[in-house]
Amino acid sequence: MSTMVAFASADSAPPGGARLPLPVVFLAPAVAIVFLVSIYPVFDALGLSLFRTRYAEKLEFVGLANYVALWNDPATWSAAVHSLVYAAASLALAIPLSLGLALLLDAKLPMRSTVRTFVILPWVMSQTVVALLWAWILNADFGPVVWAIHQTTGSRPAMLASPIGAMVALVVVNVWASYPQATLLLLAAVQTIPKELHESAHVDGANAFQRFRYVTFPQIKPTLAVVLIQLTLLYFNMVTLIFTLTGGGPLASTETLAVRVLKVSFEDWNIGRGAALGLVITVVNFAFSAFYVRVLKPSDPGGAS
Amino acid sequence: MTPGRNAAMIGLTLAACVFAAGPLVWGLLTSIKPATQVVAYPPQLLPTSPSLEHYATVWQQSNFPVYFRNSLIVTAVSVATSLALAVHAAYALARFDFRGKSALMFAILATSMIPGIAILVPLYNLSVKTGLYNSLAGMVIVYTAWNVPLLVWLLKGFFEKVPRELEEAAQIDGCGPFRLFYLIVLPIARPGLLAGAIMAMMAVWNDFLIGYTLAVSDQKRLVPYGLYAFISNIGIDWGQLMAATVLALIPVIFAFLIMQKWLVQGLMAGAVKG
Repeated sequence: MSTMVAFASADSAPPGGARLPLPVVFLAPAVAIVFLVSIYPVFDALGLSLFRTRYAEKLEFVGLANYVALWNDPATWSAAVHSLVYAAASLALAIPLSLGLALLLDAKLPMRSTVRTFVILPWVMSQTVVALLWAWILNADFGPVVWAIHQTTGSRPAMLASPIGAMVALVVVNVWASYPQATLLLLAAVQTIPKELHESAHVDGANAFQRFRYVTFPQIKPTLAVVLIQLTLLYFNMVTLIFTLTGGGPLASTETLAVRVLKVSFEDWNIGRGAALGLVITVVNFAFSAFYVRVLKPSDPGGAS
Repeated sequence: MTPGRNAAMIGLTLAACVFAAGPLVWGLLTSIKPATQVVAYPPQLLPTSPSLEHYATVWQQSNFPVYFRNSLIVTAVSVATSLALAVHAAYALARFDFRGKSALMFAILATSMIPGIAILVPLYNLSVKTGLYNSLAGMVIVYTAWNVPLLVWLLKGFFEKVPRELEEAAQIDGCGPFRLFYLIVLPIARPGLLAGAIMAMMAVWNDFLIGYTLAVSDQKRLVPYGLYAFISNIGIDWGQLMAATVLALIPVIFAFLIMQKWLVQGLMAGAVKG
């Protein structure tokens, strides 16, 4: 607390007024807007979730009835299963893919920076754009994917019209949209590994797999953990891609918990219950993050940076 | 490296590029195909007579230019405002010690972890109550607030790297803390400001949910919701839809190319991590 603060407050005071210290002046506007738009709404949601509502109106205090209703609603549980399937299947594909691409982009390649640009490209696309591009690629009447399947199997499946097909398509599209973020992080981690480590392992007769297992992997493990958490939360909270590609359908087969918040709130207009489900999702997010901080701590050597 | 291994690497690289860029290339080719060829089966890769007719239709006969203008305004204003708020907050956190600082920093980090979907309903209510529902201003305020936590963390890192000696020297020369910040520290942190601006710009331009929740009229729609509205119409014209999609991508591709240099050097990691 400090001389700097004292110094700041002593700085050429304007006539006719006491001055606030610089940190207060500098922090107040940012803190105010974040409070208004991010923190206050959480408490507002908490209040709403305890009321029976009609449109945006609070009708009567019902205690935990909205939470109980969610618990007893089979749609909540099937949405939870969809969230789990969606996140787990996406992770199972995205982690090896992004790691493989990071290793590839780290290797000596011709035109390496151009290749990197191409491979990272999906990163800039919004989930809406991704959904539209893929809706067209997967189009059952004119799309190239259906045509390729038609050529090899003789049938023309309408992927997005069947519950399983829609989930498979959604996972593939999700992986395509999200691997660049993971690849960027892993590439940065792989690049920090000193080349001498690989060379000496090579001299000692380690093959490519052993070099990955005993040199690369231990060095990137913390980053891999960060990627795992980031993607898990991203997938668990994802709304836009699912909503714009499948709308949660067919037959609610791709309706995850996060998508359900949007539908309960703005399609059924049951905003008390929507707020309750949104809070449940927030709690899961924080619990997961806390768990991750605890798991990661021992492997974080510096801590300070 | 053996020739066989080399060939395998090149094959893998090509496959990766096709996988990453293929969907966009397919959309791009569709957008310049004549309408009859768009709906040909089996699908044809290359346009027989490329034309920009779909782009002309989207730009002249749909409301897309309005969405585009709205998105440009909302993105520019919210990015500028959130940067202005965040540089000050970040500097205060990077350079000064005060009671409750670590609690405040934790709170800022925690707010960036609140999933947007959880507070859409309260934000909708708040915008109705304050009369900001269905206005660009309402969306600007929400996006500004959503950008601030990430920007504060990013910029704090940049300010911490500005050498303290420089500031001390300026202070000895009689420079007060406010002038010191605006005339000396801020110009040095310019690369950080640019990186932050681009990250924030992509986040705002690409977001669907706020535009979907806080704007109801066609005149206030942003690009992502506008695109979605195209597809939910009956009888989608895929040529036009792909043209609109390509148009929507132009600003972010542009931002991406500016950022290229950092990406290639792997330096974005810190920023991506937030």
